[in-house]
Amino acid sequence: MATHRDVVCPFCGLGCDDLAIDEAPGGGLTVTSTDCPIARDAFGRTVSSSMAAEPPRVAGVAATPEEAVRAAVRALADSRAPLVAGLAADVNGIRAALALAERLGAVVDHVHSEGLYRNLSVMQRTGWITTTLAELRNRCDLLVVVGPDPAAFHPRLYERWVLPAPAFQPAVREVVFLGGEPMAETRTLLAGWPVTVVPGDAASLASALEDPAGAESEMGALAERVRGARYAVVAWAAAGFTGSHADLAVERIVHLVTAVNRHTRCAGLPLTGHDNLVGANQVCTWQFGVPLRVSLAGGEPLHDPHRFAWARFAETADVILWVSAFGTAVPAFPPGCGVIVLAPPGTAVAAEPAVWLPVGTPGIDHAAHIFRTDTVVALRAGRLIDRGLPTAASVLRSIAAALQPETAAC
Amino acid sequence: MLTKLSGGRVYDPANGRDGVVMDLYVRDGRIVGDPGRGAAPDETVDLAGKMVMAGAIDIHSHIAGGKVNIARLLMAEEHRATAVAADGLCRCGGGVASPSAHVTGCRYARMGYTAAFEPAMLPSNARHAHLEMADIPLIDTGAYVVLGNDDLLLEMLASGAGEEEIADYVGWAVNATRSLAVKAVNPGGINAFKYNQRRLEVDEPGPFHAVTPRRVLTALAAAVRRLGIPHPLHLHGFNLGVPGNVESTLDSIGAADGLRLHLAHVQFHSYGLEGDRRFSSAAARLAEVVNARPNISVDVGQVMFGQTVTASADTMAQMSNTRLAHPKKWAVMDIECDAGCGVVPFRYRDKAFVNALQWAIGLELFLLIGDPWRVFLTTDHPNGGPFTSYPELIRLLMDRDYRLAKLAELHPEVPKHTILGSLRREYSLGEIATMTRAAPARILGLADRGHLGPGAAADIVVYTDDADRRRMFETPDLVFKDGRLIVRRGEVVAMAEGRTHVVEPAYDPAIERRVARHFEERMGLKAVHFRIGEDEIRGGNGLVRHLCRPGVF
Repeated sequence: MATHRDVVCPFCGLGCDDLAIDEAPGGGLTVTSTDCPIARDAFGRTVSSSMAAEPPRVAGVAATPEEAVRAAVRALADSRAPLVAGLAADVNGIRAALALAERLGAVVDHVHSEGLYRNLSVMQRTGWITTTLAELRNRCDLLVVVGPDPAAFHPRLYERWVLPAPAFQPAVREVVFLGGEPMAETRTLLAGWPVTVVPGDAASLASALEDPAGAESEMGALAERVRGARYAVVAWAAAGFTGSHADLAVERIVHLVTAVNRHTRCAGLPLTGHDNLVGANQVCTWQFGVPLRVSLAGGEPLHDPHRFAWARFAETADVILWVSAFGTAVPAFPPGCGVIVLAPPGTAVAAEPAVWLPVGTPGIDHAAHIFRTDTVVALRAGRLIDRGLPTAASVLRSIAAALQPETAAC
Repeated sequence: MLTKLSGGRVYDPANGRDGVVMDLYVRDGRIVGDPGRGAAPDETVDLAGKMVMAGAIDIHSHIAGGKVNIARLLMAEEHRATAVAADGLCRCGGGVASPSAHVTGCRYARMGYTAAFEPAMLPSNARHAHLEMADIPLIDTGAYVVLGNDDLLLEMLASGAGEEEIADYVGWAVNATRSLAVKAVNPGGINAFKYNQRRLEVDEPGPFHAVTPRRVLTALAAAVRRLGIPHPLHLHGFNLGVPGNVESTLDSIGAADGLRLHLAHVQFHSYGLEGDRRFSSAAARLAEVVNARPNISVDVGQVMFGQTVTASADTMAQMSNTRLAHPKKWAVMDIECDAGCGVVPFRYRDKAFVNALQWAIGLELFLLIGDPWRVFLTTDHPNGGPFTSYPELIRLLMDRDYRLAKLAELHPEVPKHTILGSLRREYSLGEIATMTRAAPARILGLADRGHLGPGAAADIVVYTDDADRRRMFETPDLVFKDGRLIVRRGEVVAMAEGRTHVVEPAYDPAIERRVARHFEERMGLKAVHFRIGEDEIRGGNGLVRHLCRPGVF
């Protein structure tokens, strides 16, 4: 039994880099240092999936890698409305996917972009004031969590970023849940801490801030505490917001943060970033000048967060190339659409795709660059085991190399 | 393979050539001496009547990293309006003030630039910046690591750490982030802003750590000297954009106490309080001091009119600039016990008194600072304007009639408030070659760039002489990168990867224990994971190391 120490976890965007993982002889990985369900599940998938390299499949039949790439190229070359999505990969995988998408004139999106877009649409419209995880940990004296508990998406948020005492603030940290209940695990973790739960939303807190006397007593008291804080952080996980206009909830939070900055310091912390969503958005933005949900069909990048959301464009697409290198289940797509999937062995699929290309998981089968939720910190996750699996980047590059030059659309 | 570039008029100030008609020889990507009669060139390029310079080098241009991506996101309207289709070898993308990576490399190369340096790389964002710079084609890159608002340094200073210990920490940071130089942005001020302080004077102790900006500035300048980093401390000074800030700028020169100091985008730091508008040019005052002190160099940060976006680590200054945002949206971020970033879209208008005077102040600085080895041509891209406005700026410097004509178009009050109209100086081609080639390479310690002597990288630009200097510098005839022709008459004809320039100053590794403890106990990240491996830079290809020489500078 080998043990890997100080492992960087690439899965949820918190960027934990302290994992201990046991490697069974010839077998899978078991996380031993934390109960984080996301890490345990994601690393643990190596146990259930065969360690022997699973062959690619074309129409459900085992094929050589060359045959599978040729089948993918045939489908893509004939495509008139390709979608390159999922985009769950490390930075190199994203680079390769974007280069291929540019060749194809495809629409590009990440599987988890819905939550990100609730934030980005507000950021692009109005801007915002935000902060990063180490600022939360070391300077924040009042954390206001808005809406559903982000721990559902980022299980170690409180353990790693909230429980340690601030190093650069002479104060004890308080935690307030606004318009949402802490999960049971969160309550256990924060037992003995000053924790309050306040009903309402960011808008009612913003009004109370301007007019404390007019507010209900609980909200008025919270407004006073926010005003009195040295460095308040307002955190939320937009992916957990419900309702059809969840971006308006984000907008209210952003307005609240700006309003508080007229009195003291306050910053927002939008939590997001499973499966390197933040990395995908960063690379897309620096390569094309615009974020995810971009079409390259016209030869130049055209960004439209509504039309080019993958779930919507999948209705129009004739071929979908789906990258799920972190092993997130591949969703169902409209019938009649040619589907090419790049994913690690054992990844759940809603239906057998036309072409199945097994790839390694970043941070397990190969070293990988991934971005943390706060968009600032990029990490390099290491290689833990060798299952003989190619990287998503190399498979995508071999598809691009096999495309005839005349199919270039951009 | 030996290539002869025959009979061009060569402007190569580092080697004392000012328009000398001569042949140049290139072998394996390097300039070589005349190989003599026996050697037959494999290829001869006839440059008779053409002008030849080394590839241009931009020492201060925000080309990569988190704040640039935030700028791109905020400038959504610009990207919609200026999307760029793939053009031969250049990939699609877009933007003017916040261009995408490929567009950035292609536009620089088309203008005869073969290197541009990101002057504000936050330690926590260094890996991102390097990943992004690797995607900028055709030009060399590198970055200056931002220190001076990091809580660890302030804490060390507060606890009385000595010069040696500070230098060890700075040395560690430069190595860990794969940087070329050290930058300080409003030292102490960004940290103070995190404690809700909106202004901090040079001798005022900051909140929490109770360290004065002067102390931070002198400590960093001394550390850079002790480590022997070629580029002096690169300072984004105090009170950026605030009327009367020339006093703080002169204070910082004083604080350097004779140590070498580079003042970035001084145009934004050369404002007086005279006149009924309480906003005046202090360019003459600053230029006089710079002229008298050979330890000081500056880049200008010229304002060019039009829409742009300002992006800076200086959250203290940018927060107060948010009221000027155009369009009315902006982003401010506190970052990772390091620094921060503030991104504010902005439109400089020639009919607005303040903007027009800013334009004049920048030009006054260019024309009043006598030594082209110590003043650099920048717009602080994109803060004063996009780098694509350099050819226009060169024309303003080289052509007085054009300058006066432009001055006459500005806000009518401006000519009364600037001495620009009386300045007769016109930059020569040799001076332009100095300030855009020879001097940037020398002040960054790039021994084999910025000149055309034997051993230099064959980054070569060929121009057709044109009285319209804007037109001339906009579209060179030929651009060679490492000996390879990459641009012909404005068209990219071959793709090339750039390199990443770094220094690796020696330091006492004992400091790593303290750094590791800081990371372990506070940062939620281990120092070993923070440090960027050599193999992470351009996939292990393209790192270029330059010599540090402790005690020399």
